[in-house]
Amino acid sequence: MYCRGPEGTVLTKRLTAELAPSDSIGSSRLGGLWRLCGWGLAVAAVLVLVPEVRAQQKVIIEPTRVPYQSVEAPPSPLLEVLLFYAVAGSTVFGALAVCFTKNIVRMAVWLLVTLVSVAMLYFLLAANFIAAVQLIVYAGGTLILLIFGVMLTSKSPWVKFEPSKVEVVYAAAVCGLLVAVLAFILTATIWPPAQEQLDATTVADLGRSLMTTYVVPFEVAGVLLMIVMVGAAHLARQEKQSP
Amino acid sequence: MTSHTYEILLALGVLSPFVSFWILVFFGPRLGKPTAGWVGVALGMGVPLVLATVVLIGWRGEVASGNAAELTANAFRYEWAMLGTVPATVGVKLDSLTVGMFFMVTFIAFWIFVFSVGYMAGHSDEVGGKSKYHRFFAYLSLFGFSMLGLVVSSSLLFLFIFWELVGLCSYLLIGFYFDKGFASAAAIKAFITNRVGDFGFLIGLMLVYFQLGTLDLDVAAQRFAEQYAAGTGIFASHFTLFGWSLATIMGIGLFCGAMGKSAQFPLHVWLPDAMAGPTPVSALIHAATMVAAGVYLVARVFRLMTPEALMFIALIGCLTLTLMALIAIVQVDIKKCLAYSTLSQLGYMIFGMGCGAWIAALFHLITHAFFKAMLFLGSGQVIEGCHHEQDMRKMGGLRKKMPYTCWTFFIGVLAIAGTGIPAIGIGLGGYFSKDEILAVAYTRSYEWGKDDFHKHVPGEGGGHGAVEPADGGQAMLASYQDHGQAHGDDHAPAGGAQGIFENTPALPKWMFWLAIITAYVTPFYMMRCWWMTFMGKPRDKHVYEHAHESRLMFIPLVVLAVGTFVSSYFLFRPLFADAAPAATDAAMVMAIDGTADTEAVHHAHSFLIGGVGFAFAVGFAIAFLIYRNGLDLAERIRRVLAPLHTLLVHKYYFDEVYDLVWVKGCILVAKIARLIDTYVVDFLFDLAAFVTERLAAFSGLILDNQGVDGMVNGVAKTTMDVSDVARSGQTGRIRNYVLFSTAMATVVMLVLFWWAMQAGNFMTATSAPPVG
Amino acid sequence: MMSIGLTEYLVVAAVLFGAGIFTMITKRNAIGILIGVELVLNSANVNLVAFDRYLERCRIDGQILALVVIVLAAAEAAIAVGICINLYKNLATVDVDTAAKLRG
Repeated sequence: MYCRGPEGTVLTKRLTAELAPSDSIGSSRLGGLWRLCGWGLAVAAVLVLVPEVRAQQKVIIEPTRVPYQSVEAPPSPLLEVLLFYAVAGSTVFGALAVCFTKNIVRMAVWLLVTLVSVAMLYFLLAANFIAAVQLIVYAGGTLILLIFGVMLTSKSPWVKFEPSKVEVVYAAAVCGLLVAVLAFILTATIWPPAQEQLDATTVADLGRSLMTTYVVPFEVAGVLLMIVMVGAAHLARQEKQSP
Repeated sequence: MTSHTYEILLALGVLSPFVSFWILVFFGPRLGKPTAGWVGVALGMGVPLVLATVVLIGWRGEVASGNAAELTANAFRYEWAMLGTVPATVGVKLDSLTVGMFFMVTFIAFWIFVFSVGYMAGHSDEVGGKSKYHRFFAYLSLFGFSMLGLVVSSSLLFLFIFWELVGLCSYLLIGFYFDKGFASAAAIKAFITNRVGDFGFLIGLMLVYFQLGTLDLDVAAQRFAEQYAAGTGIFASHFTLFGWSLATIMGIGLFCGAMGKSAQFPLHVWLPDAMAGPTPVSALIHAATMVAAGVYLVARVFRLMTPEALMFIALIGCLTLTLMALIAIVQVDIKKCLAYSTLSQLGYMIFGMGCGAWIAALFHLITHAFFKAMLFLGSGQVIEGCHHEQDMRKMGGLRKKMPYTCWTFFIGVLAIAGTGIPAIGIGLGGYFSKDEILAVAYTRSYEWGKDDFHKHVPGEGGGHGAVEPADGGQAMLASYQDHGQAHGDDHAPAGGAQGIFENTPALPKWMFWLAIITAYVTPFYMMRCWWMTFMGKPRDKHVYEHAHESRLMFIPLVVLAVGTFVSSYFLFRPLFADAAPAATDAAMVMAIDGTADTEAVHHAHSFLIGGVGFAFAVGFAIAFLIYRNGLDLAERIRRVLAPLHTLLVHKYYFDEVYDLVWVKGCILVAKIARLIDTYVVDFLFDLAAFVTERLAAFSGLILDNQGVDGMVNGVAKTTMDVSDVARSGQTGRIRNYVLFSTAMATVVMLVLFWWAMQAGNFMTATSAPPVG
Repeated sequence: MMSIGLTEYLVVAAVLFGAGIFTMITKRNAIGILIGVELVLNSANVNLVAFDRYLERCRIDGQILALVVIVLAAAEAAIAVGICINLYKNLATVDVDTAAKLRG
């Protein structure tokens, strides 16, 4: 840089100031352009890559034979139908009530309704033991635990934390879509034909299975429960005041 | 003695002052005020003088027995270095000229050294509060070394080196009282003016180096003659400048050095100013020895001169001797008066060289050295005695206070005026030497080209020395004649002027007449100077009362006066006449300068006796008439001739013209250069800087900041944007995570379902095949 | 409609699942989220038991798995309640939105 003196010309000074590296990214006037280019590149990459992957998929996935055939199911007994709809209705109603209730204690109550209804569904499905366990563990244990939690953590049992409307809308949309898709798929699927009416599974069968085929999961569950017991005790214990 | 003995003696004589110089440099302050000076006298010039005397006595014997030429031929040459293909040889130029010059220099210098001891005793030796006494004698010793080295150098290269060294010593000694502004200014002026001349010398030296392929004086002369005979080398060149051939330019270039050192016409301006130095310095360097070095140089390179170059030399010498003599008339400063007389006499020498009066010019150099040194020492005595008063108008009547000085000075005046009695051949220095120059000039002007002149065969006519106004020293010339005869075949072919000087033109008559007129002017201004100083009535009481003589300073005066009286003619002229054949090599010089015994020479003889024989008497008479009764008559004449007087007082305005042309011109050129620098170079510079700046701005601000940095930053920003988007999901809120994962699960489920449908892998109830 | 099969149970489970997810998303109370999780787990259990009932190959297995899920749910609930209590201890609230220190 040419100089007239050690201090340089005015122009030089200005130039030096202009040429000094900017400390903040994005001060450039063309920064926006470059951002646009970056996004363009990213979009272009997606547009190029996705059809490519799809082309690969088309080659790989071959149609396979459908294992089942659509069979018109025989009508169920009327009592069973009525009971099912009643229990399913209370289950769905309870669940939706849980959704839309804002009070935590009422939610717990509606959850109780749901859990009991689900237990009823288990009975309808001839899973007596599971239903009993559901009632005992859930309604009698977990729910009480929840109530305890509510009572221990709430300054007031009536305290409410409202989500934003947008969140609710998003949640409703996502969940609605999910349920819709699931329902569509489930109803559109051809299931294997239902088997003959069977006797309800006995506790003996379950116990035999647990002690033979599923002994490892059984033991693991036991260990898990013990760990949870220790862990829960640890979590909930009184913190020692640190000096 | 063998030639090596002479060489060793001369070399020791050269080295002795060099040793003295270093002793004084290192131990001078410890030796103290008088001791250092005596060391300088003893070692600086005493030893060389003894050696020179030994050599001179021996050499005269050799010349008488005819061994001199052999000794010269056997001189030792040491090849010091190779300059390309040209050897730089070191050696002693052993011939009569060297021996004579060596003795003259040592003799005069010795007595001036002695004088200096007395001079410095009465002068302040402090410069800037510190004693510079030893330094003065150190410089003098260095000058002795340089001058003697110059005299003995056999090679042009070493001659040039010593040439520059004497210039340096001159500079140092002129500016000895460098705390005085005018002294240092004069020193610088002398140095720079000499540089101008030395530049020409260097050009001549380069031409010798390239064209003749040697730096040795003898070899150069030999090759010059060979090249002339064959028409090759420097004579084959078609290069001309001002109508001069390359050979002439070489000669003139070498002469330019002499012009600077001998203060010839265009470069004469430094010598009068050089009188600012101490008086012994003026006597030694600026009257006797160094300024004569120019003449010595021309004598040495005489064989490299063409007729055109010699004519140029004669012209310069003629102009110098005339113009400077006229200025000397109006000078009132005693030293300046002597300085201009020196210039005029140097002009005579150079003029003589240009005419071909080789012997006469050198002879005049010697005689002039003696009486001018004496005159300067006398003036130093006067100045010293008159309380540093240099203005002659305030002096007068000093003969009573300083009789020795008065009468030795008068002897000098007689010598420079060429006083003598023509009929019986008795005279003082200038009577022989100057008149011989004039005789040669007459021959060159009026008798040159006449048939009988050239028909003469050198040597056959025997030794007559016919052009000399007197017959003195004829016996000494015998050896020279024999020598010239013995080498006649080599140096002076039978048949008169041949070789390069075959067609030498005659000297223009106006040059000769100017020299004659000046021969009348010289006695006038010298008598004026002496009369104003010593005779008449005291004009300044204070100066008169203060006047006194110093014994230490007056001994050299007497010695030099005696030397002026007797030594020159019998001692030196035969020596130079012996050296002439080998040194000049030119038939022209041979023909007119000693061997010719023809009608033409007799014409010159008789003409000079009538023409200038009594010039001194006329000059003295006019001066006596004008200054007999004080300065009144002179003042009246001055008023009548006011314009001429003004012109002379201002020295033809040379200083002013030089100041205008060179100094002011340099400043003007510098100013123009500065303007160009400011407005053109700086403009271009600024323009280039501006363009660079703009390019840099474009490159930096646009290309770099927006382009490269933009790209880099763009990548970074894109990454940042993408990560911002990716980060936006990372809210830290468990509920959002649930929402997102559910949404994604839904989407994945939809996509998979869609793909399965597309692939036909998903069998719906409607698409299922019938039961079969 | 008169034939109750696998599809019907699965749809009910799907609704339960949706409701549980919805609960988890919209409830800022930690206990509320826990309740949502319970709903989702119940939906899974319903699926498992339904498959156990209607699919030959899932005999017994579904119920065993449902049992394990119930055990896990109980354990999860115990741990979750402990976490909630700790959260409350640290932040003096059970609003999960305030527990966002790991936010990037």
